[in-house]
Amino acid sequence: MATATITTGPSGSQIGRSLPRLEGREKVTGRAEYTHNLRLPGMLYGKVFRSTAAHGRIKSIDASAAKAVPGVYRVVTSEDVIKVIPHPYYGPAFHDQPILAIGKVHYVGEPVAVVLAEDPHVAENAAALIVAEYEELPAVYDEVEAAQNKILVHDELKPAGTFADLKHLKGVKGTNIALDYQLRKGDVDKAFAEAAHVFEHEFRTQKVLHLPFEPFVSIADYKSNRLTLYTASQGPSFVRIEIARLLGWPENRVRIKVPFLGGGYGAKLYIKLEALVTALSMIAKRPVKVALPMEEVFYTITRHPMTFRIKSGVDRDGRITARRCEVFWNGGAYADVGPRVAQKSGFTASGPYDIENVSIDSYALYTNQPPAGALRGFGVPQLVWAYESHTDMMARALRTDPLGFRRRNITREGGKHTTGTPLKDAPVEKVLEHVAARMNWDKPLDRGTGTIRRGRGLAIAIKAVISPTTSVAIVNVNADGSTTLYCGTIDMGQGSDTAMAQMVGEILNIPAESVNVVPRDTDVTPYDMGTLGSRSLFHMGHAVKQAAEEARDKILALARDLGLPEATNYSVADLFQKKYGMQAGNIVGTGIYKPDYVPPQPGTGLTPNVTPFWMVSGVGAEVEVDTETGHVRITRLINVCDIGRPINPKICESQISGASLMQLGFTMFEKMHFDGGQVTNASLADYKIPGLHDLPVIFENETIDAYQANGPFGGKGVGEVATFCVSPAIGNAIDDAVGVRLTELPLNPEAVLRALWAKEKRPLEEA
Amino acid sequence: MIVTGEITLPAPRETVFGVLQNAPFFASCVEGVRDLKEIDATHYDAVLDTKIAYLKFSFKVSVEVTRLSPPDRIEAKIEGAPLGIVGRLTAVSTTDLIEVGDETLVKYAIDATITGKLGSMGQPVLKSKAKEMEQKFAEKMRAAFAGPLLPGASGVAS
Amino acid sequence: MTPFELAEPATIKEAVDLLDPDDASVRPLGGGTALMLMMKAGVFRPTRLVSLRKITALSRIAATPDGCLAIGALTPLSDVERSAEVASRAGVIVRTMRQLSNVRVRNVATVGGCLAHGDPHMDLPPVLMALDADIRVVGCSGERTLKVENLFAGYYETVLKRDEIITELRIPDQGERRAAYLKCTTGSADDWPALGVAVSFEADGATIRAPRVVVSAATEKAIRLKGAEEVLSGATVDAPLLTRAGDAAADEAETVSDVRGSAPYKRELVRVYMRRAVRQAFENAFDGQVRGAAY
Repeated sequence: MATATITTGPSGSQIGRSLPRLEGREKVTGRAEYTHNLRLPGMLYGKVFRSTAAHGRIKSIDASAAKAVPGVYRVVTSEDVIKVIPHPYYGPAFHDQPILAIGKVHYVGEPVAVVLAEDPHVAENAAALIVAEYEELPAVYDEVEAAQNKILVHDELKPAGTFADLKHLKGVKGTNIALDYQLRKGDVDKAFAEAAHVFEHEFRTQKVLHLPFEPFVSIADYKSNRLTLYTASQGPSFVRIEIARLLGWPENRVRIKVPFLGGGYGAKLYIKLEALVTALSMIAKRPVKVALPMEEVFYTITRHPMTFRIKSGVDRDGRITARRCEVFWNGGAYADVGPRVAQKSGFTASGPYDIENVSIDSYALYTNQPPAGALRGFGVPQLVWAYESHTDMMARALRTDPLGFRRRNITREGGKHTTGTPLKDAPVEKVLEHVAARMNWDKPLDRGTGTIRRGRGLAIAIKAVISPTTSVAIVNVNADGSTTLYCGTIDMGQGSDTAMAQMVGEILNIPAESVNVVPRDTDVTPYDMGTLGSRSLFHMGHAVKQAAEEARDKILALARDLGLPEATNYSVADLFQKKYGMQAGNIVGTGIYKPDYVPPQPGTGLTPNVTPFWMVSGVGAEVEVDTETGHVRITRLINVCDIGRPINPKICESQISGASLMQLGFTMFEKMHFDGGQVTNASLADYKIPGLHDLPVIFENETIDAYQANGPFGGKGVGEVATFCVSPAIGNAIDDAVGVRLTELPLNPEAVLRALWAKEKRPLEEA
Repeated sequence: MIVTGEITLPAPRETVFGVLQNAPFFASCVEGVRDLKEIDATHYDAVLDTKIAYLKFSFKVSVEVTRLSPPDRIEAKIEGAPLGIVGRLTAVSTTDLIEVGDETLVKYAIDATITGKLGSMGQPVLKSKAKEMEQKFAEKMRAAFAGPLLPGASGVAS
Repeated sequence: MTPFELAEPATIKEAVDLLDPDDASVRPLGGGTALMLMMKAGVFRPTRLVSLRKITALSRIAATPDGCLAIGALTPLSDVERSAEVASRAGVIVRTMRQLSNVRVRNVATVGGCLAHGDPHMDLPPVLMALDADIRVVGCSGERTLKVENLFAGYYETVLKRDEIITELRIPDQGERRAAYLKCTTGSADDWPALGVAVSFEADGATIRAPRVVVSAATEKAIRLKGAEEVLSGATVDAPLLTRAGDAAADEAETVSDVRGSAPYKRELVRVYMRRAVRQAFENAFDGQVRGAAY
């Protein structure tokens, strides 16, 4: 066993170590615990019966045939839910989502009823026998159409009340707009009038989803004054607070336990199945498990499709002087965290550019589609797709080099972001130059011949972390010197347990692999806002570092109390022995971190401190286009990221390559297809994600040499940063290769061929 | 999903219109329709059995004739649900009758949406099935007009 | 999934007796890779599955005295992939296997199953059609032989009766014939094909004789394109011929729209891939790793 000695001090041995993930062996040998494997005595299984109407009033629900199936315990509808939870609406921004549909359904796939049975197959068969009738209402699917408010998804808006910028929407009727975020800087109209060139483009992104290989699963065990939830969640603290609110209980009667997650990517944030299983367990007075098959993941949470109208004014010297951004986010039927996406990503819509006059309007919209939430990048990949395609289109029109055009316009270290917040440790220029150097941008490219044409493109982007948010950690040194870490960050595959253990080890001078990171349990692990938006390594990292430092200081104090000289070779276990006369006692250190923040001014959106750190990345892409079929082969993809100082370089690299590949799928082919509100490819047979054969021929993932001055050990988050630039870099490369500009994702072969033919004035007919 | 088709029938437009608005006859031309029940002059209930390879599905459907404007246009709305599997079929059909000399060109378009389990997968299979049903319908219609007896035709003609 | 009976007969006769000519919910089961998807989705609820796994006589690969290659219907695809006999007599099958689904599926899925399922996206059926393969089918009323070309009746539909099972596949001696299969995907590299094109012919110098041309995936069922065959037959391979063959194929194939592409786009793919498949078979320079994005 590794034990700490009291000769503590900066050891430098744990940070920067490519330690393999602590839980890796358990996972690859199939021994790791997942919620899917858990069964409780007396547990019932719930099968969800879902809406087949995109928008409609529920006329009737006939469950008689389902109830008659042998083995069915009961069938639950919203009428039963209301008896145990009188106001069963939840959500992080709006309390708009009912546990089961009440009166109306708002999208195809919305939960309407649940069959409970001891055998999940019985529940499944019975659910198929429920018949619901709907009075169909007109539905709206498109975000731009929804903004016209002709067809209304909800009768009235119900903000959660916890966010100041949503308060004015309380009770508002006649609108689909769940947030209208604004940023105003300078005088845009005047600048456009004075500009030498004005460019205006519109870009769109499609609906895609997270698709973690572990689908949603939750179990509730309700006792009269106690509720325990076992759930695959990225945010157990939020779940506890929200469930306690629904029940009208204090937090300490609700316990959330989270074993390992089989991926999350933002899907498993806030409330997904947790409120439903809670209500079911209250109704049945037995533990209830709901585990979704992959198909139903498509009805639960997705990424925001987006329409972005962007207009820029450029002066005679090629400087961008004005930019207007109008962004429409398709949030689906329930707000989830959409308004936060619209705002927190919205304010970066003008990009890493130094533009004097900027106007941003970012709208979160309700539509009759499955809800959209946070997905790895929190809206930024969609924005960057638009503004970095726009950058190249302007450069092309101005007959200037896209790299040079960017060099002329980027915000440099020490400058200010559009919001007015200084850019510190945001090496936009360094990342751009690194990409350019690795691409040999100054050397000509072999452009190919015949039906194979080559091109290259690049893109650069910036993102802020969601702020202000709080993390708490506890480090417990046991009487034998062994150490336990309590922190609420969820390790869903990103390696956070390993990184946190490395930080504890660094401070206490013990090997990271000797630190026990306890499984997440809100009765045990302290508060954390959630594992999202690349915040954990920075926020929780600070809390963990503080907690370890406090424990170290207490150890040193104990040694002093015991009259030991500085730098004694007494082990920590010896200290406890000496103090308590036996192996007994604990030393507990705590840490709590919340960064400074200045809220944006209402109306202008300006603030001197919008984020504790920035994330900057760039991508260079080389492609080959088959002009006969439209197939695009990515011959080289270079990701260059600023992640501060890597705590665990190997894990950081796999985060970068994983994020980039995920975005590659969203860029090249992933798309949820819809017909009449119904997802028509809700399966892994028809919705494909990238596999190993889809890797770019040359795939390079690099970080620049950097140090985040205010970060724990110089580090910061790395989960999202490689998602930002993949789409526009490839889109720009396609344009470079064959002279066609795609403005809508995905860049699939048919889209490319259609664009090629349209350019040749012989458009391919529609289906 | 939109299915369109056209048939030329060797009869005057009025005759064709009369035949088409005869629900039992019309239903008999759609493969798999059984248990047709007339609720009133414009509302019908029926069961539609269909087979895709070894998969069998039954739909309970209700049909509402939403517009009957002799002699050239019939519009109908169809709603239904498959039995034993969660789903919903909604369709709007429009039929136009155009005089071509002594014959009548019948052009129809059905805009159908299937939601639920069946809609989440196998759209191409459903489309293929719909096309097959459409072709069989056209065949049966042609056969009926080639034969001696046409229900409804005499009524209109007289 | 609903509980059902699983029968595991040891002989073909027992298997046929366990099938029911009048009940669609009784089905034979090979590797189960396709059927299980239907069952998990809840669209197929069997009352009885007749597993053919225990009928060991159905998983042999052998040359027959008349020069054919006989492959038992229960042979897993990976056995076919690794068979020296198959490699020497019909190398195109081995090359096709390497891009067919993934190794996990190939280890389980069977030759007979990928024919009986009638899914137009399967990679093997068009190749077998191009090679003019036969299948042996056994049912209550005895045994019959059927050309693979005549097996498919529509999307997921075959001409097999409910009490019939495929027992063996026979590929005639290919002699000096050349063949190629090109799979075109439009999603991930391991997606189902948007289009499959299989060709086979004899090359008499630069002249093509007895061509067989098949498209799959883009159409409702795998189908021979006789128009394209006519263009190729007796003609000399050059660029204009390839263009004409591609155009004939594009005119003839009734492509359908789905999530992998619109019908007009797939028609253009047929035009291009037909050219490429003929060229590839002719040049015989196929490395077995051609995919949509690699050309």
